[in-house]
Amino acid sequence: MSKTGPISVEVRSYQVGFGDCFLLSFVYSATDRRHVLIDFGTTGLPGKGKPSEHMPKVATAIQEVVGEGRRLTAVVATHRHADHISGFATDARTGKSGEIIKGLRPMLVLQPWTEDPKAKPNARTATTVTGGDKGFVARLANINVIAERVKQLAESKPAWMSATARKELQFLGEDNLANKSAVNNLIAMGKAGKARFLRYGDATGLEARLPGVKVRVLGPPDLTQSDAIRKQRSKDKDQFWHFVKGVVPSVPAAGNDHGGANRGRLVPEEARWFRDRLLSITSQGLLEIVRQLDDQMNNTSLILLFEVGKKKLLFPGDAQFENWSYAMTAAPDRKEVANLIADVDFYKVGHHGSLNATPRQWVWQAFKKKKSRQLETMMSTMSGKHGKVSSKTEVPRRTLVTALESGSRLKNTQKLKAKMLENLTTIQL
Amino acid sequence: MPRLEPLLSTDEAGRAPTRRMTVIAQDPAVRRNNRIVMSTIEVPTEDLRLGPMGYRVQVADFDATQRLFHGSHDLPASIEKEPKSWREGDPAIQRDFRFHAQNAYALVMKTLARFEFALGRRIPWSFRTHQLKVAPHGMADANAFYSPQVEGLVFGYFTGTSGERVFTCLSHDVVVHETTHALLDALRERYLDPSTPDQAAFHEGFSDVIALLSVFSQPELVEHLLVGDKRRQRGQEVFITRQELEESALQQSALFNLAEQMGSELEGVRGQPLRQSVRIAADAKLKDSDEFLEPHRRGELFVAAVMKGFVKAWSQYALSAGLKGQRRFPVRRVAQDGADIADLLVTMWIRAADYMPPVHLEFGDALSAALTADFEVRPDDSRYELRACMRNSFRAFGFEPTSDRRDGTGMWKEPPAGLKYDRVRFDSLKTDKDEVFRFIWDNRQVLNLQNGAYTLVLSVQPSTRIGTDGFVVRETVVQYYQVARLTPEELREVGIRLPRDYERALRARTPAAKSAKGAGRVTRDDEEDGDDHSEAAQSAQDVDPIEATRTPIYGGGVLIFNEFGRVKYFVENNVFAKRQNQRLAYLWKEGILQPSEKSSRLRATRLSTLHRLRALHVETLAAQRW
Repeated sequence: MSKTGPISVEVRSYQVGFGDCFLLSFVYSATDRRHVLIDFGTTGLPGKGKPSEHMPKVATAIQEVVGEGRRLTAVVATHRHADHISGFATDARTGKSGEIIKGLRPMLVLQPWTEDPKAKPNARTATTVTGGDKGFVARLANINVIAERVKQLAESKPAWMSATARKELQFLGEDNLANKSAVNNLIAMGKAGKARFLRYGDATGLEARLPGVKVRVLGPPDLTQSDAIRKQRSKDKDQFWHFVKGVVPSVPAAGNDHGGANRGRLVPEEARWFRDRLLSITSQGLLEIVRQLDDQMNNTSLILLFEVGKKKLLFPGDAQFENWSYAMTAAPDRKEVANLIADVDFYKVGHHGSLNATPRQWVWQAFKKKKSRQLETMMSTMSGKHGKVSSKTEVPRRTLVTALESGSRLKNTQKLKAKMLENLTTIQL
Repeated sequence: MPRLEPLLSTDEAGRAPTRRMTVIAQDPAVRRNNRIVMSTIEVPTEDLRLGPMGYRVQVADFDATQRLFHGSHDLPASIEKEPKSWREGDPAIQRDFRFHAQNAYALVMKTLARFEFALGRRIPWSFRTHQLKVAPHGMADANAFYSPQVEGLVFGYFTGTSGERVFTCLSHDVVVHETTHALLDALRERYLDPSTPDQAAFHEGFSDVIALLSVFSQPELVEHLLVGDKRRQRGQEVFITRQELEESALQQSALFNLAEQMGSELEGVRGQPLRQSVRIAADAKLKDSDEFLEPHRRGELFVAAVMKGFVKAWSQYALSAGLKGQRRFPVRRVAQDGADIADLLVTMWIRAADYMPPVHLEFGDALSAALTADFEVRPDDSRYELRACMRNSFRAFGFEPTSDRRDGTGMWKEPPAGLKYDRVRFDSLKTDKDEVFRFIWDNRQVLNLQNGAYTLVLSVQPSTRIGTDGFVVRETVVQYYQVARLTPEELREVGIRLPRDYERALRARTPAAKSAKGAGRVTRDDEEDGDDHSEAAQSAQDVDPIEATRTPIYGGGVLIFNEFGRVKYFVENNVFAKRQNQRLAYLWKEGILQPSEKSSRLRATRLSTLHRLRALHVETLAAQRW
């Protein structure tokens, strides 16, 4: 086993459409390469690509890089969204791509503390730490239930739902589904190797397997940590998530939803215009709620900072403002963290380039190496899936892409040619 | 419990301008002896159709989540015919949808009537039709909102933590709050536009203030807040002590008690304006902090300033009204004083709306408007010193009246000298937009109207109020609006500098910029965007590179004409004023103003979204977004 650090790091970003799949390869010598897979999921492929055909291809490509008979050092599932974990599923929808990854026998499986299968619904932290009663884990399970209903509703194409709203609800619904097959495979791989459920500041166990590499967990904080910044208003937030349980309209029976037809008593003529208008804004309210749910899930993302030699590589998953804010404003070692962020050499663009996952001041403006364009960035994204140009919520956000293109060497999966499967960035150490 | 005996014969009741109705005094959580505290309010008399459906309000009990119509409700013809359970506050009325319909209808009508009383005229809704639609059980959602798109108010319901259904339409303050949104939108149609941090906060803050003061203008409820159940004894006068009338004690007993008693599960709908108004210590620096630049937090500063001013006025009057050395004060009278003061403040703040600029409102403008409006109808303020209390309370939060009159009153100044009246017709000036436009046009130099900006008279509204001397005060309130869409060079010529980064981004736009069809206008939430994911679809359209570099700026003013057709106040936010620099900087920082193919189209605030962000306390800093 090598005792010195790696000589280079290769980062591969696979074409998974709207999703993430990054393979870090730490090169110690021509024969000693160790690999960490960060996320493997999709919720939409370019062209007419089918997950059942495409995801096994990506898994096979990963298998080839890892090498015959070799093991993955670690699998990281940053959070539970389908666009980050669907590829780990072992069922037919992704062509059993998860079986191929399972065959690579990852030694470690790293996930956020919220994914600890032993955590009680009211856990404030992973089972390794004692906790209280905020219902955060239960809230995430609740999100899955709501997502299922939203997806079914959108797919039933109610007459009162606009095509735009339907498309977004369907997307968000699918992304927030429970993904049982993928979750079970992650649990199984964790049992076969070693599973760790991490919060801010935890040791990852990677250092022992990757000599010369230091890995810091910069998020998510667990509730014992983030209570410091949650203030008294957290109660309202918890209540809110309790209250949304019943918001999803039931799926209309086939043939019973023309122009907002109704149950109960006959709507008098003078109230029909209002009824139709009211139905038409139902999807706006639903969208607002589902977007907030989606953000909640994004904020459980693991944020990992790899320090390899003098180089620093930042992988924030889909973390947004709330997740980042602990590391940047409340953590005891926040000054040290800020210095590390400033010195980053490689940045995996957060949340496919959305408007609030690369905190402009805390992260982007802090990066010092963009001045000399030494900063390497990689983004895995696909336009037209998420958000809208007119409301300046499109993903990837164009203003961010412009900044990435002018301040860094950006590799974007969206620019991969039709049959190309990956972008590669090599960082010499 | 309200009196049951009929005050008027049936015939008389039909001809009386108002009728009485029973409503919930605050919300079902405010109880006395396990009965919901009820209240009797007066609303305009009218012959209701089933619904109920009247001349300004239509209740349509349709549930969009369940796609279920609960039926058209037939309300009792008079208070005497109301079920006993309604008048007694039987908790079972929480499941009585007919009562829900009455509660919502009566409170909306009462609020409308309150505005019309204060302003001395009918107030048309902001949309074209005459009846505001009200859905008392509109959707399963912990939210309630006014939406111009549905021309109405939507009250949600949800299952609370106790497992019981919570109906937002049963909450006095929530219904008044939402109706106030609708009325403010009718009075100042541009206040939902993105503009200043204060304007973004004002719709919420103003609606909270009217709602809370309306709750406090019910003496029964105030009395209940002051003494609760324990000290109430049948037929005996109840007293409170001098110490309990001190400002801090009243804040605690009245404001905080109400906050505590209000259904806590509704905090997910209403936020915590009342609790916050006690909790936020007055500090002039707060308004500049990042935390209070968020619209829903900033609105709390406005509420805190008004409510603290209210308690100050109440406390000092109640104490001064006693005899020298008096230690105990009859609670019924103290409660009545509090309710009277709250009622006067409701009137003051509603009247203020007429004296506020039509665009780019800042809290200092609102304060000057309130002080002026109150003076016009109630010049002698020696009894309660409400105007001084308001001024001092706002000052403690760092907000000064915009007007810097030498007398220190903070009221708007006299109009500029040299206005010409000789070419306009006095009678038409009271009602006719074209006549008013001619007046403005003839006086464009004196009124500082800018060339290069398009001018539109938004409204001409004659008002009639009764002054304290018993005589009629007639006014005509005119609003006009100016808009210009200029390139960076043109803006610089008129003294407006764009935020540097924004201008750089604007210039970086390629000539592939698309036609600014509709650019510079503000979209309302009733204009749903099409699916704009397709880049190809955009580039296929006509392009105009100059249009794409234009930035919209707005201005406007209010002219208050007296009964002789002479301008007595002129309040303006000039389209090319320096304030535009701050406004554009704020909009840029917030990510609202951004260059794009559609030029700088700004989206009107959607109140349902604002309420939800408020309930969730979503904290994001604009500086961190893209």
